[in-house]
Amino acid sequence: MMTPYLQLIALLEMSLTCAVVLIILSQKLSSREIPFVVRLVAVALLVNLFFWPLGMSLELPLSAYVRGVTGEFSIVTMLLLWSSILPAAKKTSLGFKVPVALIAIAFYPLALGLGMLDPYAWGYGSIGLLTATIFFAIVCGLAGWTKCVWILSFAIITWAVHWHESANLWDYLLDPFLAIWALLAIPNAIYQKRRERA
Amino acid sequence: MSRVIAFCFLLLASVLGYLHIDSRPVWAPFASNYSINHVNQFDDSSELSGGAKQSKVLKSATSVKPAQPSLRTDWLPDTGAPSVHAASLIALKDGAVRAFWFAGSREGAPDVVINTSVFDTQASRWSVPTVVVDRVSAEKGLSRYIAKLGNPVPARMADGRMQLFFVTVSIGGWAGSSISSMISDDEGLTWDRPQRLISSPLINLSTLVKSPAMAFIDGRLGLPAYHEWIGRFGELLRVDASQVIDKRRMSSGRDAIQPVVFTNGPQEAEAFFRQTRPSSQPKQIPVSETKDAGQTWAVTKDLEIPNPNSALAALTLANGTRLMVLNNIEAARYRLVMVMREPRSPQWRVVQVLEDDESLLNDQHREFSYPYLISANGDDAHLTYTWNRTKIKHVYFPATWFKYAVSSLQAKEAQ
Repeated sequence: MMTPYLQLIALLEMSLTCAVVLIILSQKLSSREIPFVVRLVAVALLVNLFFWPLGMSLELPLSAYVRGVTGEFSIVTMLLLWSSILPAAKKTSLGFKVPVALIAIAFYPLALGLGMLDPYAWGYGSIGLLTATIFFAIVCGLAGWTKCVWILSFAIITWAVHWHESANLWDYLLDPFLAIWALLAIPNAIYQKRRERA
Repeated sequence: MSRVIAFCFLLLASVLGYLHIDSRPVWAPFASNYSINHVNQFDDSSELSGGAKQSKVLKSATSVKPAQPSLRTDWLPDTGAPSVHAASLIALKDGAVRAFWFAGSREGAPDVVINTSVFDTQASRWSVPTVVVDRVSAEKGLSRYIAKLGNPVPARMADGRMQLFFVTVSIGGWAGSSISSMISDDEGLTWDRPQRLISSPLINLSTLVKSPAMAFIDGRLGLPAYHEWIGRFGELLRVDASQVIDKRRMSSGRDAIQPVVFTNGPQEAEAFFRQTRPSSQPKQIPVSETKDAGQTWAVTKDLEIPNPNSALAALTLANGTRLMVLNNIEAARYRLVMVMREPRSPQWRVVQVLEDDESLLNDQHREFSYPYLISANGDDAHLTYTWNRTKIKHVYFPATWFKYAVSSLQAKEAQ
C-alpha cells in the first residue's frame, strides 16, 4: 500500500530517530532540563540535517548511512524514543521491559537458526502472534500503562498497511536495540533497588 | 477516558490486523519445472539407445562405438576485472541466454559491479558485457549505505518479467548480507529501482542467495536462501514481487548453506546443500525433504557424494533426468564433475569430469567453483562456473550429448 513512499518514509523516520537520540544524549550530559521548545527546535534542525543530502563526498543523506548500519527500527522502538522527549514523558515501566527482555531471549536464538522452529516466520501472518500482541496490549492497558496500548496499536496498523519494507509483524514490534535496552533495564533496576535499600 | 480511547484504537488495529492476515495468499503447491514434463526417460532417444545396443552388438564384433557429441565451451566476456565470481544464467524469451556475474578488483571490494552479457545460441557468441548495478547505484536505489555487492540470481516472474536477486552488504563480511531485487520489463536491458527483501529479524543481516528460484502454482516464487552468520542454514523464501511474504526453515544449526531444490511433484521436493561442518563430521551433501510444498522441511540422510564446503548446481531436464555439477572431493575445489540421476534410478553417476587439476600454483590448488545450471529448452543445459576466480567458463551440453550419456550408462549397466 505504501510502496511508492517506502524509502521517503524510512529516511524521514530515521532522521527523526537520529535527532531524538541526539537530544536524549544531550539531556543525559546536561545538568539542567532542556526546555521543550528548545528540544523541539533542535529536533527540527537535526531532522533536516539528517534528511537532506549534504553533498561533498557523501552520496546519500546522513540518515541513509545510519540506516545502512542499523536497518529499520521497529515502530515500538521509534514511538518509545520519540515520545520520550515530550513534556509529560514518563519512564517506561519495568512491567513492559521485563516481558520484552524475556521474549527477546527466547526469540532471537530460535530466529537465528537454533533448531527447526522459527518464530520469526509467525510474523508473516500468524493469528496466534497477532492475538498475543493484542492480549499483551490489553494487559498493559489494564495495568494502567495506556501508552503501550497506543504504541502496539500503531505497530499493528503500520504492519497491516505495509508501512515499512518488511511484511513481518515482528519487525514492527521488536528489534535488537529494543531488546538490548530491555535486557539492560533488568540489572539496572536491581542495582537501583539495592542502592535505595542501602 | 484516555484508556477507553486507547482500547478503541486497539480494537481498530485488531480488525485491520485480522483483515490483513485474511487477505494473505495461502501457501500454494510447487509448479512443475516444464509445461510438458516427460516422465519417461528420453522417449525420443530410442533411436540412439537402439544405436547404442546395436553398437554394443557391433562392439563384440568390431569394437565400433557411436561418436560422443562434443560439448561447446567458451568464456564469459572479459571486463578487465581481475576477480570474477558467482555467475548465473537465465533463458530469454527469444531462446538466447543471459548471464550475470560479479566482477571487481577482488571479491568484496567496493568497486565490484554486477555484469551481464547475452549468449546468442545461433552464433555461439557472447555480447559486449554491460553493468547492471554497481555499489553507488544500489545504495541510491535502496536509500541506504551499501559497502559491497555479491551473488546475482535471475528469475522469471509469472507475468513474464525478469527479476534479479542480488546480495548487498552494508557492514562486515558476507555474513552481514541482505538480499535485494530489481525487475526488468525488457529481458534485462533496463532495470527498475532496487528493493530490499526483509528476511531476518536481526537488522536484516545475513541472508544470501545463490541458487535458482522455483515457482509456486500461484505464480509466486520460492527463493532458496541461506544464513551464514550465527547459524548456517537454508531457508525457502516465498516471494511476491519484491517482498518476502513467508519463509520456512530448510535446515538448522551451522551445517548447511546454499540449498538447491529438486521438486518431485506439487507437494514434494528435496534440497541438497553445501556442507559447512566441522572437520570431524562427514564431508558429504546434507539433504532436506518436504512433503507439503515447502511448508515444513525435515533433514534426512546425507547424499553420499563428497563435498568440500562448496556450492552445487542442480537442474531437472524435461524428461525427468536430474543433473548436478559439484566438486566431488573432500577438500579444495580442483575437481568439478557433472553427475546424473535418471528418473527411475536412485543412483547419481558421474557423466562428465569438467575439471581435474591437482597441480599447485603458488602452493594452492586452482579453484573451479560456484557452478550454475539452466536449460533453455528442457533438453539441453548451459553451465557456468568460476575458473580459478579469474574467468567464468561456459559449457553447453546439447540434447544429443545427454542422449549419448544416458545410452552409455545403460550400455555400461548392461555389460
